[in-house]
Amino acid sequence: MEHEAATAAHSSLLWLIPAFPFLGMLINGLMRRRMPEKAAGILASAAMLGAFLVSLLVFLDLRALPHHGRALTQTIYTWFAVGDFHVDVSFLADPLSAVMILVVSGVGFLIHVYSIGYMKGDPGAVRYFTYLNLFAFFMLTLVLADNYLLMFVGWEGVGLCSYLLIGFWYTDYEKALAGNKAFIVNRIGDFGFILGILLMFATFGSVEYGTVFDRAAGFPYGSAVITAITLLLFLGATGKSAQLPLYVWLPDAMAGPTPVSALIHAATMVTAGVYMVARSNLLYSLAPVSLTVVAAVGAFTALFAATIGLTQFDIKKVLAYSTVSQLGYMFLGCGVAAFGAGIFHLMTHAFFKALLFLGSGSVIHAMDHYFHHAGIKSNAQDMRYMGGLRKHLPSTYWTMLVGCLAIAGIPGLSGFFSKDEILWKTFASGNYGLWIIAVITSGLTAFYMFRLLYMTFHGDFRSAKGHDHPHESPRVMTVPLMILAGLSVVGGWVGIPHVLGGGNQFEMWLEPVFERGQEIAALAHAGEHGGATELLTMLFVTLVGLSGIGLAYLFYLRQPKLPEKVAAGAGPLYGLVYNKYYVDEIYDAGVVQPLKATSNHFLWRFFDVKIVDGLVNGTARVMTEFGTGVRKIQTGQVQNYALAFAVGVVVIILAFVL
Amino acid sequence: MEAFFFLLLAVVSIFSGLMVILQKSPVASVLFLVLTLVCVAALFVMLSAPFIAAIQVIIYAGAIMVLFLFVLMLLNLQRFTEGAWSRFQITGVVVAAVLAVVTALLLRAVPLPADSGFLRETPGLGSVEAVGLSLFTEYLLPFEIASFLLLAGIIGAVILSRRRP
Amino acid sequence: MDLSRFNLITIATPLVLGAGVLLVMLVDLLSGRANRRPAQLAALAVVLAAAAVCLATWNTGGVSFFGQVSGDGFASFFNLIFLAVAFLVILAGPAYLERNAIHFGEYYSLVLVSVMGMAFMAAGTNLLVIFLGLETMSLALYVLAGFNPARQSSNEASLKYLLLGSFATGFLVFGIALVYGQIGSTDLARFSAYLAGAGDPFAGYMGAGVALLLIGLTFKMAVVPFHFWSPDVYDGAPTVVSAFMSAAPKAAAFAAALRIFYAPAESLGLPWERILWILAALTMTVGNLSALNQASIKRMLAYSSVAHAGYLLLGILAGNELGAAGILFYLASYVFMNVGAFTVAWMVNRRGEGRYDLGDFAQLGFRRPLLAAMMSVFMLGLIGIPPLAGFFGKLYVFTAAVQAGYVWLVVIAVLNSAVSVFYYLRVMVIMYMRENEALKDVDRIPATFAAVAACALMVILLGLIPGSVLDVARAAVASMP
Repeated sequence: MEHEAATAAHSSLLWLIPAFPFLGMLINGLMRRRMPEKAAGILASAAMLGAFLVSLLVFLDLRALPHHGRALTQTIYTWFAVGDFHVDVSFLADPLSAVMILVVSGVGFLIHVYSIGYMKGDPGAVRYFTYLNLFAFFMLTLVLADNYLLMFVGWEGVGLCSYLLIGFWYTDYEKALAGNKAFIVNRIGDFGFILGILLMFATFGSVEYGTVFDRAAGFPYGSAVITAITLLLFLGATGKSAQLPLYVWLPDAMAGPTPVSALIHAATMVTAGVYMVARSNLLYSLAPVSLTVVAAVGAFTALFAATIGLTQFDIKKVLAYSTVSQLGYMFLGCGVAAFGAGIFHLMTHAFFKALLFLGSGSVIHAMDHYFHHAGIKSNAQDMRYMGGLRKHLPSTYWTMLVGCLAIAGIPGLSGFFSKDEILWKTFASGNYGLWIIAVITSGLTAFYMFRLLYMTFHGDFRSAKGHDHPHESPRVMTVPLMILAGLSVVGGWVGIPHVLGGGNQFEMWLEPVFERGQEIAALAHAGEHGGATELLTMLFVTLVGLSGIGLAYLFYLRQPKLPEKVAAGAGPLYGLVYNKYYVDEIYDAGVVQPLKATSNHFLWRFFDVKIVDGLVNGTARVMTEFGTGVRKIQTGQVQNYALAFAVGVVVIILAFVL
Repeated sequence: MEAFFFLLLAVVSIFSGLMVILQKSPVASVLFLVLTLVCVAALFVMLSAPFIAAIQVIIYAGAIMVLFLFVLMLLNLQRFTEGAWSRFQITGVVVAAVLAVVTALLLRAVPLPADSGFLRETPGLGSVEAVGLSLFTEYLLPFEIASFLLLAGIIGAVILSRRRP
Repeated sequence: MDLSRFNLITIATPLVLGAGVLLVMLVDLLSGRANRRPAQLAALAVVLAAAAVCLATWNTGGVSFFGQVSGDGFASFFNLIFLAVAFLVILAGPAYLERNAIHFGEYYSLVLVSVMGMAFMAAGTNLLVIFLGLETMSLALYVLAGFNPARQSSNEASLKYLLLGSFATGFLVFGIALVYGQIGSTDLARFSAYLAGAGDPFAGYMGAGVALLLIGLTFKMAVVPFHFWSPDVYDGAPTVVSAFMSAAPKAAAFAAALRIFYAPAESLGLPWERILWILAALTMTVGNLSALNQASIKRMLAYSSVAHAGYLLLGILAGNELGAAGILFYLASYVFMNVGAFTVAWMVNRRGEGRYDLGDFAQLGFRRPLLAAMMSVFMLGLIGIPPLAGFFGKLYVFTAAVQAGYVWLVVIAVLNSAVSVFYYLRVMVIMYMRENEALKDVDRIPATFAAVAACALMVILLGLIPGSVLDVARAAVASMP
């Protein structure tokens, strides 16, 4: 493992993984006009399936290798060489990237299939699939790259595709501004990222993972330059993975088609930052300050986004804030040097969040069609107009229920294991403050997810008109949901902790990648067998999650929708019902409103609008002012130009003479 | 003696050069330009380059200036009517003066190498034979490129004089 | 007489172009009043023939014509760049010229004659040849800038360019005269030998000579403070001409600068470094800041090309092999981005010639997605986002400057690149984000579209194989006598 790149075996398969979606993109892109919409969808999905199958083969190849020699590389060609600095277009499949390519191509394939149904009848469907395949190409390049520069290419590429797809349906000015924000905010992050790469190159003379890590290992613990590099890289990660303070673009990015939100803004692209931090685990482990920053930013983002999630009515916005919050968890995991736990949560999150997004897409799809047929002008994403959809969308309901249970951390489901591992590692590493924040977040998560579920699927349908009702989505959409639901259940079983009698194979699998970093961070296997303490915290966290669900049940299901009717029918029970309503009022006044006020007025209005937006716009304005000043010299008068010319001549000549 | 003539010619050519841009009547400007060119031609004679001096007089002072005069008369331009000196003119004078001073500063008084252009004594440098020989040997290529330069000029003249829609 | 001194191989490419100019004029004359197609086809054929000749004679001709020119790989490399630009603007041009009712055959002969001048600038090993090449190029450009006599802005552009260009030429000629006065020759080999041998390189007339030569060339590169003409001229000139002017002449000016200053750069010492340092820093900063809030895409691109001249100066300042080869690579990618961007600019112009508003790009991402994607490639390339060609151009040139010890200047350059992101991305933001202003649709012009597509492909391709192209550029630089 010491010299991963040197001993890595060669594989001639790796190039195929990004090549499949690239080919799909090329065919769909070039045949845009002649391509039937359905064929485009099938082609794009087939390309993803191809990538997935090759990824599977690569995975099996890796498994066949000895534990510490699990790395396959393929160099396509030498990209460029300057001096003694050369960069290859070269791919690396090790346990970490194997997980990533399986998730990206697997979940990506399901979302592509789902999109066939979702985009049916859309005039831009072929273009949509072209972009989607292009995205997959860049994403796979990002995770397969064996150096930071190629990773950056993927990083920029996925950003571009994300941007193209956010604006896919742009109709109004607000969405235009949203896309703008996404772009500018990401640019800030990317600037940090590229600076980090430059500094890395200046320090280590290479950007290739193996070389960089080997050389970094010779640096002292806490080295300032590595701290700077890792912080700059992390700035890039906060942009791409929507963390404080650069998270603002993600909720706005929901303007795109829902499968895009599922693929790009939940399952894959936004996790690129987590992947990058995990990939650079050795560097981060050498920089305790950076690790602390990562952990703190992760934990605070998790809590912060979760509180906002409580107040949203747009079904996709809830999921968006939830994604921001869960990404915070992943960073928290990485920040306490539990990189394996972060990646574990990345994987399970990809399953259940993709599921939830696709489920919400199915709901929106149904609502949209319903509104269209019933002639109602309304917002198909607003949960206040939903309710009782369980009857009409049974497959969607059941699968989404699984997703909600998984994200809420109900034992046995995937989210439980991955979230628990992060929480336990946080606890075991002694970060009790962060642990408390994470536990609170866990409760809030359970609450708002079930609030979403209840408001959408339970109770009465609040947009009823005549006998018409929303209809379940076609099988091409529900089957991917079911598969993802299955994955959301079993996806965590690969990482059952020892304390529950599991083998935690997932951590074992990733061990070769994170070993060195964790050894330095002195956290290797800390509290691995925490025994009773681990079980106790697990139980506690589970109870917090359950009480979150219970509270949601209380507030959103048991609360009567039509108090007068209940009052009239129940007579003496009125007081109690009223009291319940009163409880809701108390809750509303005591919990929701203050939270809302804080999140709305302070966090959102002030922090988001004033500080974050202000910074973004302010920078642009200052630059523009400069420009105006400089432009004043450009008068259009030849005489002025000649004058400036002559002055320039005088100065240059003087410089030569003096 | 040589120095005297040089100084005389230099002063006259600079003076008439200034008059070219200071005159309000375009015809007078052109005539001063002729004077400048003649002075330069005389300087060529002093450098023992009679052929170039002759060419200078025939082509520049003769043909081109006559063309200028014709154009001016055809256009029937009035005198430039301009009152006080404009801001541009004042700054122009200042900058020109600074430029002249600075350029003079540049010319460091250092003994020139023996083969420098200023000191090279080539017998018959400016004679017809010498010019012809160098034009058809060493400078054949620049000579030919110049013909394309003129071609570009001709095409340009055709374009610019095309009837305006 | 020894005819072997006139090795025509060394000037094969400009020779084909020169003959081509005459051929195109003849074809245009013979092909009736209203039909310019034969002239265009003839011009394309001439460019292709010249390119074929250029490839066939790659680095085969040595120094010839009494040391006036060198038909080395350096000249071949630049010839290919010039010819590519000429091909693209000849291919793309007719639609624009038709639209403005200025489709005259002279367009083609002027482009060809100007490229011929550039070829001599790149091949010249004598100041006189470089000067004549530069003048041939410039004269054609002055006329091309005023190619639309009906538009006042076009006339104004032409006149401004002519006046300031002549002003700059005056300095250049004076510089050549001073150099000649000092060393008795305009031969570049003698020039660098003198500078290498002299104790004080700027003794006598040499300081002024070198300074004025530099000024004459930096004018053509549009380096601050000699850049003022470029935004006005690019803006006023017909846009096909702006595309041509912003790309090829800049490349030619850098070719000439490398010819003159690459070999003796080391012996020029501190004043030279100081001046170039300041010019480079000033040029990129002023160019970028001025580009920030331009409403007209043409002016924005004009300032952007000023900024790029600043980045390119780093390669000259570095004075090492990588710097020079980096400039070659940079220019090879830059011309495609600029020609592409200017061409898209006039393709999408929907408010008439007078107004090149950035708003023209509104919704382009949805109405003409491919065109918008290609424009994005140009913008991202100009920013220097990997893996597009623009990134590697910057990488090579900046690395060369770092190797030569100009770390702070590179920091300034990187910061400038960051600033440039704002205005390049604005185009993309408008294309994909801005509200539809009910503008009329963008015409579909197959030939022009093909030219733009070729530019985009080159920007991507050069980014995929920068290593091999740089090797060719290195060999080209090494082949200079």
